[in-house]
Amino acid sequence: MSYHLSYTQTDLDLTQTLNRPKKWYYVALTLLALGVAWGAASWFHQIQTGMGVSGKNNPVGWYLYVTTFVFWVGIAHSGTLISAILFLFRVKWRASVYRSAEAVTVFGLATAGFFPLIHLGRVWVFYWTLPYPQMGDLFPNFRSPLIWDVFAITTYLTVSSIFFLTGMVPDIAIIRDKAKGWRKKLYGFLAQGWQGTDNQWRHYTAAYVFLAALATPLVISVHSIVSWDFAMSIVPGWHTTIFAPYFVAGAIHSGLAMVILILLPMRKAFRLHTYITDHHLENLAKFLLFTASVVGFAYVIELFIAWYSHNPWEQAIFLYRAFGDYWWAFWSLFLCNLLIPQLFWFKRFRRSVPFLVFASVAVTIGMYFERFIIITTSLAHDFIPYAWGLPGLTWTEIGIVVGSFSWFFFLFMIFAKTLPVVSMWEVKEQLDPPSSGKQ
Amino acid sequence: MLRDGATVHRGNLCCEGVELPSAVNTMRHNVMSMKQYKGQNILAIFPAMDLLLKGIRELRGARHENFLVYAPVPHHDIEHVLHRPKSPVRVFTLVGALVGFCTGWALTIGSALHYPLIVGGKPIVSIPPFGVLAYILTILFGALATMVGFLINARLPQLRLTPEYDERLSSDHYGIQIFGTDSDLVRFEKVMKKIGAVDVRKHTGTRRSGGER
Repeated sequence: MSYHLSYTQTDLDLTQTLNRPKKWYYVALTLLALGVAWGAASWFHQIQTGMGVSGKNNPVGWYLYVTTFVFWVGIAHSGTLISAILFLFRVKWRASVYRSAEAVTVFGLATAGFFPLIHLGRVWVFYWTLPYPQMGDLFPNFRSPLIWDVFAITTYLTVSSIFFLTGMVPDIAIIRDKAKGWRKKLYGFLAQGWQGTDNQWRHYTAAYVFLAALATPLVISVHSIVSWDFAMSIVPGWHTTIFAPYFVAGAIHSGLAMVILILLPMRKAFRLHTYITDHHLENLAKFLLFTASVVGFAYVIELFIAWYSHNPWEQAIFLYRAFGDYWWAFWSLFLCNLLIPQLFWFKRFRRSVPFLVFASVAVTIGMYFERFIIITTSLAHDFIPYAWGLPGLTWTEIGIVVGSFSWFFFLFMIFAKTLPVVSMWEVKEQLDPPSSGKQ
Repeated sequence: MLRDGATVHRGNLCCEGVELPSAVNTMRHNVMSMKQYKGQNILAIFPAMDLLLKGIRELRGARHENFLVYAPVPHHDIEHVLHRPKSPVRVFTLVGALVGFCTGWALTIGSALHYPLIVGGKPIVSIPPFGVLAYILTILFGALATMVGFLINARLPQLRLTPEYDERLSSDHYGIQIFGTDSDLVRFEKVMKKIGAVDVRKHTGTRRSGGER
């Protein structure tokens, strides 16, 4: 992968993304702000009225909020994967796409973080989950996967944010040096005095390697821990050892789809075809094909385990998933997450932008349904037929879910116009340095 | 034998035939560098990296070590010719990770023993679940310590740039900031211009320069 550019051209191309936005940008931002306002109003209504306004009930006490939480944590996974793991393996094509992927991680987590609070009901006592001695010197139960989750998500958000912001410092310094007026002051503050001395670069590159090395195991562990929220229980369909790798693969799958969905319009809007090339998209498509196959394998193995276990409840829940109330969502998993991405075996589809968009939307929908199926059906149809029941769907819940999507894209739109979406210094690192031409 | 041009704060050799461990050497470098990078100086700006490398080699050939290099991106050739010691950030990472690991166990075991309540028939000190928290805190503290280590060593944040700084240096130019006596600076100004510096400016150096250490 080589760019055939100069340092000056790279700076020019990649700082033009920060130029004054066009009208469509403000229109999109306003629509997203309205979506966020709908979500906020719905949450406020729920806090004021009580959890009865959500579709949750007994037996389905974990429903769309937990589904959406797991979905956003999953979306957050590809960023660190693309950024940290590909950095450690010195994969060069990473340079053009990792900044946006990291933004997907940070904003995905910033969205996911709301859902445990929304799901709690009594949000004003959220601090009970924090590790401090409460009434009678009692700490939270550290044997509970829900507390592991609090630690895991908080750590992932912290480490990802540090990694994201650290990676941006040299680029912000470039913008500072080109800006004028209040922008110069703002970016000067954000660059924190970066001057690019050899000593700064020496400590910076060392810190970056260690941050990547520390972030990498988090890719595996965070969604494993999220999966244990379910797998540590004895509910049929949840209590299975395959859950950790199954969730991690699914998370990376959905995250990659979201990264592609973000990159394609960004490439077009900012005319970044020189930096985000068909080669990058093809590599991401291959990645998506790989994760689709892993996820598909997990689906089949799950069915096999249910059959092979001779456990009547496990078998019953899988029959219910396939032929019960939500059969349509169950079969859509195979179509969206496994079968459609299989077309990426063919180069024609990997290089087709419309198909990439179609497949990424399909995977995003499919992965939402996957979490919905896992969470809802197991609770709706567990051991005792007397306790079976279906949840409802209310406008409050719909408003909150729509609000979360609006919030995520709202944050990304703000980011795209205020900070460099492609890493300038890492693209420049791959170019031939300026030369005098003398030997 | 000292290698050609070697000095006390470069590489692992401190004096003839004696090798110091890398971390000790790094500390020596840092102590030495406290005395460096301040006072009057010249900043030579080069439009190309090969000219920068020539400039560095000239300084090293003259056994003058009191200089800083500015570059828009890190490059192996620059690192190679500079021979700076390894960054001590790794020590911060290690200490942070170890503190996190111990904190994880101390928090979980300590709180369980402080209020011994059997939950779900599990042991008071439940090693596997507590290990999950120890693992998470190892990573969290390691990352935070890495960040702190970077900021301390790179002398960041600085709210104001040093007056010598030139805005071309973050984009496509390279710089060598040379500190020394009047006679040194006069001599090196000529050398840098001869090599191909597009600009050589003199500064009185009332403030310490960025990223020293």
